[in-house]
Amino acid sequence: MNCRSEVLEVSVEGRQVDEAMLALLHTILLHRSTGKFHYKKEGTYSIGTVGTQDIDCDYIDFSFVRVSSDELDRVIRKAVGEFKDAMGNGTDGMGQISLEFYQKKKSRWPFSDECIPWEVWSIKVNVVNLANEQERQICREKVGEKLGEKVINIVEVINQHEYLPKMPTQSEVDNVFDTSLKDVQPYLYKITFQITDTLGTSKTTWFCAY
Amino acid sequence: MAAHFDTEYQRLEASYSDSPTGEENLLVHVPDGNKSPWHHIENLDLFFQRVYNLHQKNGFTCMLLGEVFELVQLLFVVGFTVFLANCVDYDILFANKFVNHTDSSKVTLPDAFLPVDVCSASIRDNVAVMFVLMISGVFWLHRLIKFIYNVCCYWEIRSFYTNALKMSMAELPYFTWQEVQARIVEIQKEHQICIHKKELTELDIYHRILRFKNYMVAMVNKSLLPVRFRPPLLGESVFYTRGLKYNFELIFFWGPGSLFESEWSLKPQYKRGGNRLELADKLASRILWIGIANLLLCPVVLVWQILYAFFSYTEVIKREPGSLGARCWSLYGRCYLRHFNELDHELMSRLSKGYKASSRYMNCFLSPLLTVVAKNVAFFAGSLLAVLIALTIYDEDVLAVEHVLSSITLLGVCITVCRSFIPDKHLVYCPEQLLRLILAHIHYMPDHWQGNAHRYETRDQFSQLFQYKAVFILEELTSPLVTPFILIFSLRRKSLEIIDFFRNFTVEVVGVGDTCSFAQMDIRQHGHPAWMSEGKTEASIYQQAEDGKTELSLMHFAITNPQWQPPTETTHFISQLKERVQRETTGDRQTLTSLSGSEPRSLIANFLAGPPSLASLHLGRDGSLTDHGPVGVSDGASALRSLSVSSTRGSCSSTHRSAGHASSASRAMPGSSTDARTASSGSSVWEGQLTSLVLSEYASTEMSIHALYIHELHKQQSGGELSRHTWHRQDSDDSSDSVTEEGGSGGGNPNPRNPIPRSHTFPISTPISTPGPIPSSNSGPNPDRGTTPGQEVTPLQSNSQRRSGGNTDSVGPGGRVVRSVRVPMGGWAEDGRGGRHPDTVPEEGSEDDMPPNTHKVFTQTHTDLVFVYGVPYHCFPLSSGDVTDLRDPTYLPTLILILPEKNFLLICELSTMASPLTPDG
Repeated sequence: MNCRSEVLEVSVEGRQVDEAMLALLHTILLHRSTGKFHYKKEGTYSIGTVGTQDIDCDYIDFSFVRVSSDELDRVIRKAVGEFKDAMGNGTDGMGQISLEFYQKKKSRWPFSDECIPWEVWSIKVNVVNLANEQERQICREKVGEKLGEKVINIVEVINQHEYLPKMPTQSEVDNVFDTSLKDVQPYLYKITFQITDTLGTSKTTWFCAY
Repeated sequence: MAAHFDTEYQRLEASYSDSPTGEENLLVHVPDGNKSPWHHIENLDLFFQRVYNLHQKNGFTCMLLGEVFELVQLLFVVGFTVFLANCVDYDILFANKFVNHTDSSKVTLPDAFLPVDVCSASIRDNVAVMFVLMISGVFWLHRLIKFIYNVCCYWEIRSFYTNALKMSMAELPYFTWQEVQARIVEIQKEHQICIHKKELTELDIYHRILRFKNYMVAMVNKSLLPVRFRPPLLGESVFYTRGLKYNFELIFFWGPGSLFESEWSLKPQYKRGGNRLELADKLASRILWIGIANLLLCPVVLVWQILYAFFSYTEVIKREPGSLGARCWSLYGRCYLRHFNELDHELMSRLSKGYKASSRYMNCFLSPLLTVVAKNVAFFAGSLLAVLIALTIYDEDVLAVEHVLSSITLLGVCITVCRSFIPDKHLVYCPEQLLRLILAHIHYMPDHWQGNAHRYETRDQFSQLFQYKAVFILEELTSPLVTPFILIFSLRRKSLEIIDFFRNFTVEVVGVGDTCSFAQMDIRQHGHPAWMSEGKTEASIYQQAEDGKTELSLMHFAITNPQWQPPTETTHFISQLKERVQRETTGDRQTLTSLSGSEPRSLIANFLAGPPSLASLHLGRDGSLTDHGPVGVSDGASALRSLSVSSTRGSCSSTHRSAGHASSASRAMPGSSTDARTASSGSSVWEGQLTSLVLSEYASTEMSIHALYIHELHKQQSGGELSRHTWHRQDSDDSSDSVTEEGGSGGGNPNPRNPIPRSHTFPISTPISTPGPIPSSNSGPNPDRGTTPGQEVTPLQSNSQRRSGGNTDSVGPGGRVVRSVRVPMGGWAEDGRGGRHPDTVPEEGSEDDMPPNTHKVFTQTHTDLVFVYGVPYHCFPLSSGDVTDLRDPTYLPTLILILPEKNFLLICELSTMASPLTPDG
């Protein structure tokens, strides 16, 4: 409960799913990543640089900025790929990807470490089926516009100075940041997704944590 | 974050390699982590509850000791019982059998014990005893594990108190909860315990601690829980025991498969109206299973209850036999009398203050017949006892005669019991005044009690709140037997109502989670026109809290938490009421002219015993502050004195205001917020350098005045006409009947399975299951706090819904025709079942297929605009429900509001993933 949650909702065509998801997830992660920390003596640290990269989408009239970290990209792509596979190739469908930022809290002996989320982004995807090429063309532009709006949305939310975990000391950096990547250091996150089939009755929850 | 530059600022070389290029041209940061372990606590509900518990239990050590002793007690009860049953040779004890000792002829206690091997053999042979031992062993282990877990958790809370709140455990008992709370609010700014907002309010903390209690209070208030019965011989009676309460909470809140998925959120499917019937079926079957489990466990629980009662009460009864004749507030009474957002200690202190008056009131009703009998029995028993005692004094060998000691004890008990039936000769009772004095403390009372205080019915009803201790114990003992049947036969029938209740009266508050909407104390949504909120409330009858609970709770909360800043409308209500009370109490006749003509001239004079004489006012003004409790003083004088205290403070507040600034450092709260509130409410009497304990005493007095005033005004307003607030609506059918009178919708309720009180406004006036109004958290301009779009939209949206809910003939958002709800309710259950096909999911243009009497609920397309506060919203209903469900009185279509400027889509919680969602354009 003690966690912000934001909901984004997009309606896309089947083949646009992964690009749309990548665009949104990368946009969020761009703002939730820092350079690597280099700790020095006396508890100070310096922050490495982060490069950015423009990515053009194939099926959407849209390009987005992401952290130029291939490792991070690979991780996100894998998650999105699994999500798309889980959605299946069915024409209609609803799904939801959640990107959850959390921090770990060390507990005393009898309890295991707690993972306390502080921000959850839920992206609801609605896959629509289009009849002809003309509609696809319209959809291509429309989804691009929509994604642009969503990106602005994300930036607006992130610009509000809401709670962020405090900058950790060296011993605690693993509790706040994901330090497994070489070139970039996002806040600890995990991606989960949820698929609803056309009847809307049964839900399958997939889970992949990184 | 301290950052300092080693060199002048210069551009870094364009390099994508991540290694630092040179040591000298780098920005160096100092981490600020690790300073407080208290930021961002995951489960704030539990956290606050523990903080409160630790405070109430007077610190860690006391709590630890208490829990340890509880565990030991448990072992002792079981062990001692087994020992008594199996290891004692009663023949020796009763001297039926003689022991042959070598050294002395005295029989010692160890003589009566059986040898260990005999004893253990007899235990092992007895299957029943082994069974009991095993059960209690498991139970004890469970308690032990829980205890160890608790110790770990509370250790953390302890360090929170000492490190973050800067209160040592030794001095904790001497802090009031209000002080603790003020520090928590302060801490939030520094540590961010809750990450949703920069500042916590008192109401947030209360909401979290009392989340489930508020639901229970609301359910009792709306007569949803089956606690009133009409057994054949006993007449109308209330049965509400701890066991029953435990089961209710198990079913609703935390048991497996309960309505809540976590402490803070209702399961999403319960927020949607679509499949309420299925959910009700599910709930009913759950209740059935829990009832059966109760039935199976009944022998175990029963044995436990009997043992426990025996060991905890026999000693007390022996010591003071009168205690069985004493009274206590029943569990039901505590629920009925509890305000929304009232913590345990506040309730208990309030009820304890009313205790004396209540027992005096109950003593007015001694039966004259019993008195005569008791007098004579006491006479005879007394003479026997006197003789026996005199003989004993003369020669103590009399005691050695068989049964003399026991007869002395019995006669003593008999006389004490008799004496409790004999009224004190020198006291004159005025039930009406006593009842008013009681009202000043308990704050709730059905209308028809006033003026009927001397009647036996009133007494009987009051005794449901204020029962004999003996009855209480008896009820607890029978509880294991009765509870399963109540669950299976009574509660199960109400499952649909319960589902509806939780859907309709749950709001999601940012930073708090799902709470009972009554607990928001929003006059507009739940106010009752007969209780001061005439014209301010937009609630339908179904939504109105009964007995003025919303209004009184609001006043109570505002008075006990003077730093709380309510939303503006609420502030208006409070200040208006306070002003009126102030005017009345100061007796300033000239200001009375500004009151409306229908209002009684001097209400205070009415509810006090006599006219308020200025002399007594002045007397009270310089009277000692400590002696303002009404104990032992006549009702009128004491009320006057407490009145005068508050009015003195009120009149002095303006002069002391500047002084208050200087001393505000002593208070935990910043002076600015106090001033803002003082300015807004205009009559805050809590200025100056009073400690919070004195404050809380004043607060209770002020609340008493307000309660009396509100009740009096209510009485005057209702003006003797038959109120629909019958004492305990026996079943909701009663109120549905009265609804028919008021609403004019024809003839009762044809469906016995669903006796929901409803009016013609009922069905559409229940839009609360979406993120609702957030008066405490969201309102109030707070420039330095950014709002997420979601937060920004919610109040507007709820407003639009409320607008749709308030009036029947108005047009809802997006031109939704709300006339549809006048469709007769009959047979909707069957229709609902028939209409559950997925193909009836409303889509655009599908309204032609609808039955004609649904009046085209979806007449608009999704592009309709709604203007809320002048801001256009696209609005379209989205529902996975089916068409026939729309006729269902509690049906609530989901609305999606889009804020065009923000390009933000706010999807209500109701929208299912399966709903047809077209790309909005």
